Amino acid sequence: MTCQGVSNGVRRDRAIIFPVALVRPRLNDYHGLTFTQDQVDFAIPFVDEDIPFYVDPFLLWKSPSQQDNALHTAVVASFNNIGQLGVKGMEEDSIRTLIKLSECPEVGLGSARDKQGKRIGEKTAADIIELFRRIPEITSGGLGHIEEIQLLVDQISKDRVSDIVCSLIKSFLIDFTIDQCRRLGIPTALLELEVFDYQKQTFISERTTLPVNPKNQLPIVLVPKRWLRYVPWINYDDYFENAFATDQAKRERVEVLTFNRHNYGLIREYIRQKELLQADCVNDPLFKPIPVISAKRKFEEIKQLATGRGEGADRRYEELMCQLLASVFYPQLDFADMQSRTESNVLIRDLVFYNSRGMDFLREIFEKYGSYQLVFELKNVSTIEREHINQLNRYLSEELGRFGVLVTRRPLSRAMFQNTIGLWSGQRRCILALADDDIEFMVELFESRQRLPIEVVKKLYIEFTRACPS
Amino acid sequence: MGEVELFEKVRPQLEGFCHELRELAKKKPDGGINKFKLQIINEKLDEANLLLTGKFKPFKDFGRFDQDSLPTNSDVVLILSQYLECLETWRSAHVIKVDYSWYWNTPGDLRITTGVPKRSHLDEEEEDGEGEDEGEEEG
Repeated sequence: MTCQGVSNGVRRDRAIIFPVALVRPRLNDYHGLTFTQDQVDFAIPFVDEDIPFYVDPFLLWKSPSQQDNALHTAVVASFNNIGQLGVKGMEEDSIRTLIKLSECPEVGLGSARDKQGKRIGEKTAADIIELFRRIPEITSGGLGHIEEIQLLVDQISKDRVSDIVCSLIKSFLIDFTIDQCRRLGIPTALLELEVFDYQKQTFISERTTLPVNPKNQLPIVLVPKRWLRYVPWINYDDYFENAFATDQAKRERVEVLTFNRHNYGLIREYIRQKELLQADCVNDPLFKPIPVISAKRKFEEIKQLATGRGEGADRRYEELMCQLLASVFYPQLDFADMQSRTESNVLIRDLVFYNSRGMDFLREIFEKYGSYQLVFELKNVSTIEREHINQLNRYLSEELGRFGVLVTRRPLSRAMFQNTIGLWSGQRRCILALADDDIEFMVELFESRQRLPIEVVKKLYIEFTRACPS
Repeated sequence: MGEVELFEKVRPQLEGFCHELRELAKKKPDGGINKFKLQIINEKLDEANLLLTGKFKPFKDFGRFDQDSLPTNSDVVLILSQYLECLETWRSAHVIKVDYSWYWNTPGDLRITTGVPKRSHLDEEEEDGEGEDEGEEEG
């Protein structure tokens, strides 16, 4: 696959031969597009799994954007219309429509690790229609917020609500996706898919150009990240804890839902309270760095940790370092995953970051060492030995890239540093070492914001490069 | 720009930077310095380097800060304070005493007053404690 040029400051590499060893690859990794999550307005989709966030329609409702408000109105109007048609003799059609709406695989949101979601069943769809028959307020006025159905019908949770909303406004999301692809140079393909038509209030087939998942060739629709939360503002758990009477706290979910259907006034009041508190409803960032004070505490704890594995020191070191590095490197590097591997019966944990190539040295690391992702191997040892360097060296590959960082407690000895230079001379591998002092400096920079913490890695890289024989 | 003019411009600026950074370094000696500050400090060091050549050069292998080496507050204070010392050495070597006053040793009849040199001067036999009577050096 080849790509051309630079658009809006986003670099695109000339020739992409895509490696299969990437950890949690994202759509932009496949196309050699080097924007970070922070730089774009949508949630960058993963290729192999869903993003564990959900569209919260309440964010559209409370948005200062008239466009978002209009979309919310369209969602509610369409949903209520489907319900009304269901009680007016078109129940089968309405049930079929609700089932179709309940899954929107193109947006890739939810908890599915393999991007395979499930639709609601006929019974659940029928239960939704029943609301429009049994609850007078809904019969006459419809729902004000469709996420109320979580409080009234079983088998409906945040993922269903999110998918229903996305399905109902898929046409807008397609336009949004086309626009973002044009701005960022994301390749698209001409394809056909079913879209809910607001005018006709039914599904129609539409030919359009969208990006596709390179693994399964299914279309991808991008979602504005300003609409995303972990849990909707109106949700069952919040209702149960804060609105449902505490003396009834021991009731099972189904009992509660049944109660709610017979006491819809309580739902209305809960919704009213949530609307009054709307200022507190904000989208959840896709990644939130830890606060500075927390970073400093974590580093202090790291400094006090013993080296080695005694009393779980190595696991604690790994946990703390994961949270710390993911935060201090943000937003220049997006965190991909922490992974474990076993080598010679030794459990090794790595932190993997996407190589955004957003800085000069990151671009150089990509060009010279083929690193689509950057591996940071955690080593809670007092001294790095030759075998530690060899372990990381064996893991680095043509697919993963030939650049890696050992995160350890003390700087490399002169001999071990020479060892890394030897690896460069012989195999063109670049292995750096970040020690506690470097991490401390990074935390200081994280606090002071005078320089970027990742520039500490750049400094080490430059020192390494200067030490290599020409 | 003449050397005297350059000196009279650069030294107070470097003194100002050194003072500010010394205060910062007291609280955070290992704190990083942002690129903007480093850039303007480097500009002043470049100007000072025009004067501090040969035996007046402060360091054999240092001319300006490398942004990528992430100098800290204390690193910069160390360098700036040495530059200020060398600038005074340079000044002391370029002044003369006429009657009871000190002047820049400039060609022609132009007399620009300056303060007592703080370094040993060529005309050492003329010092004889006269330095305490002189006015403050112009900054």
